Amino acid sequence: MGRRPRLQRCAVAISLRYRCWPSESCYLPATNMSKGEGSLPGGKEKGEEMVGSLAWRYLVKQGEEEETLKQEEEEEEEEEGGLDCCSDDLSPETSGMHPDLLELAVDREKCRSIRRQYRQLIYTVQQNREDIVNTASDSLTEALEEANVLFDGVSRTREAALDAQFLVLASDLGKEKAKQLNSDMSFFNHVVFCDLLLVFVGLNWVEDQGEELSDCDDSIALTFWGMVQKEATSWMLRAETFHFVFGSFKAERSARKPRLEHHKRACKMEGNGDMPTKLRKLDMNANQETTEKEVERILGLLQTYFQKYPDTPVSYFEFVVDPNSFSRTVENIFYVSFIIRDGFARIRLDQDRLPILEPTNVNQVDEESDPCSYGRKQGVISLSLQDWKNIVSTFEISEAMIKNSC
Amino acid sequence: MLQKPRCRSHPGAQPDSGTSEEVPNGSGRPDAKQDTAGTLSSSSRLAQATPASELRTQKQLELKVAELVQFLLIKDQRKIPIKRTGILKHVIRDYKDIFPDLLKLAAERLHYVFGYKLVELEPKRNAYILINALEPVEEDGEMRGNQGTPTTGLLMIILGLIFMNGHSIPETEVWDFLRRLGVYPTKKHSVFGDPKKLITEDFVRQRYLESRRIPHTDPVDCELQWGPRANLETSKMKVLKFVAKVHNQDPKVWPTRYCEALADEQSRAGPEPSGSAPTS
Repeated sequence: MGRRPRLQRCAVAISLRYRCWPSESCYLPATNMSKGEGSLPGGKEKGEEMVGSLAWRYLVKQGEEEETLKQEEEEEEEEEGGLDCCSDDLSPETSGMHPDLLELAVDREKCRSIRRQYRQLIYTVQQNREDIVNTASDSLTEALEEANVLFDGVSRTREAALDAQFLVLASDLGKEKAKQLNSDMSFFNHVVFCDLLLVFVGLNWVEDQGEELSDCDDSIALTFWGMVQKEATSWMLRAETFHFVFGSFKAERSARKPRLEHHKRACKMEGNGDMPTKLRKLDMNANQETTEKEVERILGLLQTYFQKYPDTPVSYFEFVVDPNSFSRTVENIFYVSFIIRDGFARIRLDQDRLPILEPTNVNQVDEESDPCSYGRKQGVISLSLQDWKNIVSTFEISEAMIKNSC
Repeated sequence: MLQKPRCRSHPGAQPDSGTSEEVPNGSGRPDAKQDTAGTLSSSSRLAQATPASELRTQKQLELKVAELVQFLLIKDQRKIPIKRTGILKHVIRDYKDIFPDLLKLAAERLHYVFGYKLVELEPKRNAYILINALEPVEEDGEMRGNQGTPTTGLLMIILGLIFMNGHSIPETEVWDFLRRLGVYPTKKHSVFGDPKKLITEDFVRQRYLESRRIPHTDPVDCELQWGPRANLETSKMKVLKFVAKVHNQDPKVWPTRYCEALADEQSRAGPEPSGSAPTS
């Protein structure tokens, strides 16, 4: 058979039906309502005449000639494609049809202009929608009549589709117009309602003075809406909103805030805390060893000096003082005190009453083996920054005798 | 689910619950006693009805019902319908199998203690709202509706407009009307804040209004209709009477509207006499 036999058969049926009934009576009954008086009977007459005489006979013939039609359409479709070709094919083939029904020359230009006019009509109607619906003008009827006229030239489904689109639009507008018909004896007027609302609340002076509620104070607006509210609630079964009498905890929010702050604080601490912890760790571990190491080192230095210059005590200050660093000086004093405590050196005052360091003889240590016979002597050395500077300048110490190891 | 808690008349209310509750007869409703009996018997029935879940004691069930009541009350604060899935997820959890009973009990308690009805918004939609079971009375004119912003007045006006205009009204006409009262869609209002949001979003979300697009309009216009909640909380007759009161006229002045309202009243009253067959 054919490639899409059912579709083509439908297309043929539609296009032929359009030719049979060029009036609108083939459409939905809704359009009859909106069309108005004049065009309807005329249209119907025309349609009935067609139905009676020509179209019916034609449809009967159509059933007989469907086979040949289908074959022709297939061939044509390969060239052109689409449903437009249907009308083209029928003219040469179905010569048995009544010539009144057929458009003899399907002019493409004509179709294009029809489509343009339809689109123009649709656009106009959409633009003037407000006018058409709200006023009591005949513009909708006029538009429909124009569509009527256009439809006479329609022979293809493309234009017919545009016509259908226009009719949907027109029927929507018609429905809205019908809605506006008010069969009530007393019409419900918005403006009157508005004024009466003001009267009801007791604000009629607003109207009298020619003002509007929008220009008035906020307090007046509040009273207005308050009074309307009071009246309205007596007509509604609204459940009151539930509230605790003394308020409630807003547990969620308060739990979040301290968490955030605490988090921030914790972050800060951790950010700065890297450095101190590392250093502390270093110090803690190496503390004990550092002192011993330093003491040994200084002892070594002292002993080297004594070997170089035997029997020459070294001035205490010259030995410990570091002219460049006060803290180093204090550390040196600290370490030297260990040396003295352990008996590797001796400190005493010379003839100028200045302290000097002397090596202790190993023999001397052996003779007086008991360290207690020394007699515990304690000395406290206090050194302030100013003293240190004075010492440096007085003794003219240019460089430290105890060199730094690190 | 639960449409309206009907007053059940229990032949031979069981007095075996032990807790004889002191019934405060403040409301003076004649069916208060029946409700008490109903509550007691249904809760005892509930305890008997769960032989499969022996782990649930009476106390646990009571606790669950209390939680459910609290949940419903707090969820209703914003007036947005409460979804059934929310209830199951947050409150019921393991007690899913007895959910209908729990809900029924909670509804009874709400009705009895607070005077609120738990109603399903639309049949089979699984969303619930609370409405006031007590008709407004002259004396509590000061108390009712004085919490928060006075939106009920605006709502009533809009419902009136919609009803008197047929059953729907384009949004533009609503704004034309409200302009005369100093309410603009784009301007901030001293009482309502953002009126456009209030009307097109909040009221729609609370299901007082329904908004639908009008086809073929170029600046997109919506038409407003009554929402399901409006039909539950008020009625056409009431809105008509409100409008009539403002106009200081009789509602019969608008014959078609009055007929519609009357038909609506009858349809509301209709099913009840036929449905009062004992359903236990």
